[in-house]
Amino acid sequence: MYLLLMKQLLLSIAFLFAAQLSAQQYLTRQGNITFDAGSPIEDIFAKSESASAVYDAASGKLGVQVLMTSFVFKRALMQEHFNENYVESEAYPKAAFRGTYTKGRAVGELTIHGVTKEIDVPATLAIDGDLVKLQTEFPVTIADFGIDIPKTVADKIEKDAKTTVDCTMKLRK
Amino acid sequence: MNRILSALALLFFATAVSAQEDLFDLLEEEQPQTQIVYATFKGTQLINAQTNETPGKGVLQYVIAHRFGSFTDDYLYNFLGLDNAQIRMQLDYGVNDRFNIGVGRSSVLKVADGFMKYKALQQRTGSNAFPFSLTWHSSINYRGARYTDGIDHVLLDRFSYQHSAIFARKWNANLSTMIAPGIVHWNIVPSKQDPNTSLHTTFGGRYKLNKRLALTGEFSLMSNSTLSDGSTFTVPGGVGIDIETGGHVFQIHLSNTRAMSNPYWLSRNTFSALDGSLFLGFNISRVFTVR
Repeated sequence: MYLLLMKQLLLSIAFLFAAQLSAQQYLTRQGNITFDAGSPIEDIFAKSESASAVYDAASGKLGVQVLMTSFVFKRALMQEHFNENYVESEAYPKAAFRGTYTKGRAVGELTIHGVTKEIDVPATLAIDGDLVKLQTEFPVTIADFGIDIPKTVADKIEKDAKTTVDCTMKLRK
Repeated sequence: MNRILSALALLFFATAVSAQEDLFDLLEEEQPQTQIVYATFKGTQLINAQTNETPGKGVLQYVIAHRFGSFTDDYLYNFLGLDNAQIRMQLDYGVNDRFNIGVGRSSVLKVADGFMKYKALQQRTGSNAFPFSLTWHSSINYRGARYTDGIDHVLLDRFSYQHSAIFARKWNANLSTMIAPGIVHWNIVPSKQDPNTSLHTTFGGRYKLNKRLALTGEFSLMSNSTLSDGSTFTVPGGVGIDIETGGHVFQIHLSNTRAMSNPYWLSRNTFSALDGSLFLGFNISRVFTVR
C-alpha cells in the first residue's frame, strides 16, 4: 500500500516536471521586422522594432505578431498612406504568423490585412542558452492579401514586398 | 488517497496542455501601446481654415489655391468664372513633426503672409490616451495693395494678425471635426468706435466616403460683423471634397469667400451665398521630402 502510494507520488512529480519542461517558452516584444516594396522609382522601406515573437521549444510552435502602425517609414506621408490607404490599420491593426518551426522552415498561417495565407518559408532558429534567435527573409505578394494598389502608382510599388524578420526571444521564467 | 494523487497528477498534466494552447495568447498580452492618432484631416487646410495637421518633419509643402468668379457674374462669358480667378500660393516647411512655418501670397489685395503652426497636443489612443488634438496657428499679414482712400498710410497700417487654437478630434476612421476659436487684429479700422480685435470661431468637419475621397465643410462666426462706415460682414463658409492621389491633395469646394489670407476671409468677407455669391475654388498641395 505504502509502495503504491509512493509510486503514485513519484508519478505525479514526474508529470509536474514534464509540464514545466514542455513550457520552455521564449518570448520577445522587441523584434525587428522590415519590408521593402521599393522600385527603381520610389524608395518604400519600413521597419518595426516592436514585433512580438513567441516560440515553444517542445512543440516547435512559433508565433510572430506586429502592429501595422509600428512600422516607421522615411517619409511621414508615405507612412500615413500605408496605414490609411493600403493596409487599413484601423480595421486590421495587426499582421501575424502562427505556425511551427521545423528543420529550417517556418510553416503556418500568415495573416495581413485580414487575409490569411498558408506559407512555408526558410528560416533559421538558433537556441543559445536562454535566447532564441529567429531570422527569416521571404517575399510577401501584396495582391495576395487583398491590398489594393491603384494603377497610377502600380509601377512605383514592387509586387512582392521583401520581408525580413529578426527576433531574439528570451526564455520565459 | 490514490484518487487524490491521480487527480493532482491529472491537474498538472492539464495545466501543461493548456499552456501549450495558450502559447499564441502570449502575443496578444501586449501592453497597450500609446499611439498618436494620424490623419485627422487629409490636408493642412480644410477649405480656408487651417486644420490641426502639419507636414511631417523635413517636408516641404507647396499649396496653390484658386477662387473663381461668382455664379452671378456673367458666369458663362467668364468661362465658368475661371477668367476672374484669384490665387494664393503657399510654401511651407515641417521643421519637425510638430512645428511648421510658411509664407504665402494672395492676389486679393496683394496680401503677403507668414505663418507658424505648432501641434501642442496630439490625440492618442492606448495606455496614455488623450481625446483631442490642439494645434496653434498664427499668421502675420501684409497688405500690398495701394490704398485708394486718399489718406497717407504708414507702413504699420498694412498689417493684420490672426491667431487660433485648433481643437480637433478624429471620432472614427471616417469622421473628424474641429473647433477653432481665435482672434483677428487689424492695425487700422475705419474709426475709433470700431474694435481692432474681433473674436472668431471656426467649425469644420470631414467625412470620408472612401479611401481617397472625403466630404468637407466649414463656417466661422465672428464677434462683430459691422463697422462704423456701414460695411457689414457675412459668415464665411463652404463645402468641398478632398481627393487624395499619392503626394497630392486636391480640394475642390464651393464657398462664399474669395480672399484666402486668414484675417481677410475670417473678418472681412462681404459675400453672401443668399444673393448668389458662391465661388468655385480649389486648393492643391504637393509635398516634397527634402530631408
